[in-house]
Amino acid sequence: MRFDTVIVGGGLAGLIAGISLQKAGKSTAIVSTGQNALHFFSGCFESIQEAPQQVLDIFNEAGIRVHYKPGVRLMPMGTFKESALSLDDVSLFPTPQFGKRVLIINFMGYHDFFSSFLAEGLEKQGMECRIRFLTLGELTQPELGPNEMRAVQIARKMDDVWEKVVQEVRVLLKDEDTVILPQVFGLKDASVPTRIRQGIPAQVVFAGTLPPSVPGIRTQMQLKKRYEVLGGTYLMGDRVTGAHVYQDVVQNVVTKQLDRHYLEADHFILASGSFFSKGLVSNPFKIYEPLFELDMDYNQDRNTWYNPTFANHQPYMGFGVKTDANLQPSRKGVPVKNLYVIGSILGETHPELGSGAGLAIRSALKVTELITK
Amino acid sequence: MNPNEFDVIIIGGGITGAGTQRDCAMRGLRTLLVDRSDIATGATGRNHGLLHSGARYAVNDPESAAECIRENMILRRVAAHCIDESDGLFVTLPEDDLDYQKSFVQACRDAGIRADIIDPDLARRLEPAVNPDIIGAVRVPDCSVDPFRLCAANMLDAKLHGGQVRLQTEVTGIIKEGNTVKGIRTHNRNTGEDLDFYAPIVVNASGVWGQEIAQMAGVKVGMFPAKGSLLIFAHRVNNMVINRCRKPSNADILVPGDTVCIVGTTSSRIPLEECRNVAVTPDEVTLLITEGIKLAPRLSSTRILRAYAGVRPLVSADDDPSGRNISRGIVCLDHETRDGIKGFITITGGKLTSYRLMAEMATDMVCKKLGIDKACETAITPLPGSEEGSYEEVAKKIWENPTVAQKAAAARMGSRVARIRSGDRRDEALICECEQVSMGEINAAIDRLEASTLTDLRRRTRVGMGTCQGEFCACRAAGLLAKAHGCIEKERADIDFFLQERWKGNFPIGWGDTLREAEYTQWVYKHVLGI
Amino acid sequence: MDNGIKFQEYTESTYNFEECTKCTVCTAFCPVLQVNPLYPGPKQAGPDGERLRLRDPNFFDESLKYCLNCKRCEVWCPSEVKVADLIQSARLQYDTTPPKLRDRLLASTDFMGKLARPVAPVVNAVTGLPLAKTAMDVMLKIDRHRTFPKYSASSFEFWLKRRRKEQAVFSEQVAYYHGCYVNYNYPQLGKDLVKVLNALGVGVQLLDGEKCCGIALISNRLTKEATKNAKHNVSVLSKAVESGLKVVTTSSTCTLTLREEYPSLLGVDNSAVKDSILMATRYIYEKLEQGAKLPFRADFHKRVAYHTPCHMQRLGWGIFSEKLLRMIPGLELTVLDSACCGISGTYGFKKENYETSQAIGEQLFSQLRAIQPEVVACDCETCKWQIEMSTGFPVMNPISLLAEALC
Repeated sequence: MRFDTVIVGGGLAGLIAGISLQKAGKSTAIVSTGQNALHFFSGCFESIQEAPQQVLDIFNEAGIRVHYKPGVRLMPMGTFKESALSLDDVSLFPTPQFGKRVLIINFMGYHDFFSSFLAEGLEKQGMECRIRFLTLGELTQPELGPNEMRAVQIARKMDDVWEKVVQEVRVLLKDEDTVILPQVFGLKDASVPTRIRQGIPAQVVFAGTLPPSVPGIRTQMQLKKRYEVLGGTYLMGDRVTGAHVYQDVVQNVVTKQLDRHYLEADHFILASGSFFSKGLVSNPFKIYEPLFELDMDYNQDRNTWYNPTFANHQPYMGFGVKTDANLQPSRKGVPVKNLYVIGSILGETHPELGSGAGLAIRSALKVTELITK
Repeated sequence: MNPNEFDVIIIGGGITGAGTQRDCAMRGLRTLLVDRSDIATGATGRNHGLLHSGARYAVNDPESAAECIRENMILRRVAAHCIDESDGLFVTLPEDDLDYQKSFVQACRDAGIRADIIDPDLARRLEPAVNPDIIGAVRVPDCSVDPFRLCAANMLDAKLHGGQVRLQTEVTGIIKEGNTVKGIRTHNRNTGEDLDFYAPIVVNASGVWGQEIAQMAGVKVGMFPAKGSLLIFAHRVNNMVINRCRKPSNADILVPGDTVCIVGTTSSRIPLEECRNVAVTPDEVTLLITEGIKLAPRLSSTRILRAYAGVRPLVSADDDPSGRNISRGIVCLDHETRDGIKGFITITGGKLTSYRLMAEMATDMVCKKLGIDKACETAITPLPGSEEGSYEEVAKKIWENPTVAQKAAAARMGSRVARIRSGDRRDEALICECEQVSMGEINAAIDRLEASTLTDLRRRTRVGMGTCQGEFCACRAAGLLAKAHGCIEKERADIDFFLQERWKGNFPIGWGDTLREAEYTQWVYKHVLGI
Repeated sequence: MDNGIKFQEYTESTYNFEECTKCTVCTAFCPVLQVNPLYPGPKQAGPDGERLRLRDPNFFDESLKYCLNCKRCEVWCPSEVKVADLIQSARLQYDTTPPKLRDRLLASTDFMGKLARPVAPVVNAVTGLPLAKTAMDVMLKIDRHRTFPKYSASSFEFWLKRRRKEQAVFSEQVAYYHGCYVNYNYPQLGKDLVKVLNALGVGVQLLDGEKCCGIALISNRLTKEATKNAKHNVSVLSKAVESGLKVVTTSSTCTLTLREEYPSLLGVDNSAVKDSILMATRYIYEKLEQGAKLPFRADFHKRVAYHTPCHMQRLGWGIFSEKLLRMIPGLELTVLDSACCGISGTYGFKKENYETSQAIGEQLFSQLRAIQPEVVACDCETCKWQIEMSTGFPVMNPISLLAEALC
């Protein structure tokens, strides 16, 4: 099969590149080994301090509701983090003192949402908190088993009964100006969080849960859908296992499922992620990029890979594929002409592009521009 | 009666201290046990988890060997729920001297250890993970034992016999009148409270830190701290203990324990002041893997979970730089006869397998001093949890059709698991999925086993000991702890400490899937949860 | 550290279970977990459970039987853990209860087909009778809502054997692994394939005596029988492949079984034939890509919704069916959000699974009700039964649609 561009990796970077290339009239395919980091997406596009129209357009067209408001967001353990561009699910405040009296709603038997930690964190900011529990069994039958009390399972139930939650909260609400709910709403329908906000006569804040991330999975599905609507080919559950490179030009990539049916293209984009998704692989002797054996930017001495303190910056997370200003990599010092590298596989080798979601989006757009030029 | 007065005070919550407290309490004494942190934090929890048959000592130390096999057989009965009767192999590799096997088997038999030479083919069938190149194999009654569980069960039984346990309680001084020890001064590291406790006898069972405690009492006990490093592999590769049939050396034992297997150890002498903070070096990691592969080649491509090190509390006897040839025999010192200090006993040396005997010896000495004539019953009375059959039977008795988590709980708690059955299905919610630990089990550990931190919970329930090393369960369990002791702020610090402890064991082997996991954990805690 | 010993360069474990980072992706996408509280979910049943089972086989949990083997966990897993294989192999390895008579009956598609074919009208009439359905429901615990696929009076093999000569005239030849369904229940699909391939100038041959792929035997834990079939099939497939033939198939489940499950679950080596076994839609797509042409009708018009069967999704070949359907002039295609239909072969036939099965399928059925297609296209026969029973929309294999669209 032949495309204009084949993208290895279907996470945020791969999808943004795919969508913007399809929009530019290119035919593309994305090969994705399963789900990616969007599965535990916090809902905030970290390290984006500005909101280019181009980015907002991509999200709007995909039905993803985002808002841009530099400030702070509430973290699930009751702390705050600087944020700017976020999904609508995530409230952004100018300061951590976003309310006076807060009603925190949790579900009985749900251990992945930290209501008491939230309360303590908010009390430190001078807020008064009250925690109330809803019983899922009273909202929906059949009740979830004790081990199904995980974000996505609850969210599937909530898709049908979120209006009941609104009613319950209205009953529980006394003089609180703010209500905090777990991020388990709107798995299918991105408008639900907004509609919940409209239904409750107080400021509604959704706080994150342990993964899986409901807004993250929704976002992944929306981006994938948008990409497919634009005519992109998303190969889910397949993995690129190798590539044919001839005279420093990638001819095609080989996938596990399509075996001899190579995917050919003029351009290739490597968006295969960092260690977690095996875009980078480590063993006691080295860290390497397994598909093209691209030159790496890292220190080979294993003793320098880690900081012994967990909370500190971990050097290994900064390692990445070595690329030029155009995000093009090299093999044994020789540039590969039609290959581009985007997203977290770059590590911290391009600090000007930010990190996390910011790096994914910026590098994807930059490469799209280079390819379509 | 003054609540601060006891018949005997035991310093040290390792297996020796817990065992001694249990024995004393069973003989009717009013006991107090103190530890500066938690149970089983020293050598007790930092070894292979091997219940020696004694075979390993048979050639060099027949006395210890005979002790081991007697205790091994006793513990199978009284501590059944802590022990996996896996049996062990002593294998001879092509580079080893097969002649050693003969003297080894003879020595085992002399010590009363059943040692059967078996055909290498049979050994390969019995234990498919063993190095296929073996040229000889001997089958011995080695077992694996969960030292945390064993220690907790002893402590629990002491409590059931009226004993008092004070953890996070550091001994700051020994109260003396002339040459007689009267009690201890303590500082509670949680509450900051300073309290004195009194008893006619104080037992120093503080392992490698026994030297410091002895110093406080004005006596000299020279410890010989020897660091041993070990590696935990992420799943069970072997189901029998695999030993090298040669003179004891580095990394020549591979022990299956619960859901993992452990290879070790190295041995190097370290200064006493480094004992509290031992780290595994890259060279030790290399050595452990290289030698481990010789026992079971599969280890070369098996995910490693973590690296850790412990300090053996050996009593120095000579100038041997390696510490290997020192007798691991039990040292029970009556400081009255030895140093002229009354009311002070040090029990040290020995090994995990012989803890019960050590406790019996110390308790005998205590009783003799107090003039109490009561026989030791720890060799015949099962520990709480070990009274009824196998975990499958136990689980089936309680739940008609037990789930995996219920079976896992029964395997950890033995018959005590009946106590976590409740009418509320919510108690079945899994907090730790890797090791299948439910909310009920965690709450039971908080209520009855003195767990006050995540690390305490880990020792008692295996929460966070699995593949993901506490990725999700740390916060879930922290929520339960916070609810139990009502302090969120403390729990925040607890999570940080727990993650740091996990990372400490991860980064020395930080590659492959372990590094992938670590990266994921970083994301979850820093970017998703905001810790 | 590099002292010549290369340890820990990579790790390996049964079905990659140690590569699981406990990320929970599989649990978010498991269709059974969403509807059946008795099922512990793919993560716990798979990689988590494996560690415990390695510790002691007694940790095998009977509730693993609720796994559909849809393999969607494997599709979504970012770490390539073969979660479903872990679960299925645990069932094969550790479940010691003998399979029920009902399960044996349901699993013996080959045997039942041979038995029923000569008396097809009678069997069809009887299995369709309310009384018989009740009897099967009560006695065999086969759910009364289910309709047994009708048996054909004449087998596909019989039909094609009579056309051996006319097929032989084509210079290019393929062998067709038709499977039980085409042979005993629905020979028309086979005939459609012959029509399409002939139009491409390709003649169709039978294999030298194929047997049921064995998926139903595997899922009902009849390992011995399944292995026997697997060995037999690999040998007849080898014969065809050695003579230079490609083997085409029209069932995604048979294909996955022949290609993946044989080595993975039964330990039967199929490396000599694996790459030569292709879904017909892939084979035809590749032909067209290389420049072959099909004579399409000008007056064809149909609104079609394509459902990617679970095993097609796992094969990663849905793209071929989809792209092929898009090539048909006049065919208006909607690709459905990939979701399990809930039947999973014999799973949905069992009384104890009926409700789970229908609840799982709802995600797919509701999409269909919203779209109201004329025809649902899909490459799997059991999906066809389920979708037709549950929604009333007719279901056709893409090959049949292709055949209908030809001049």
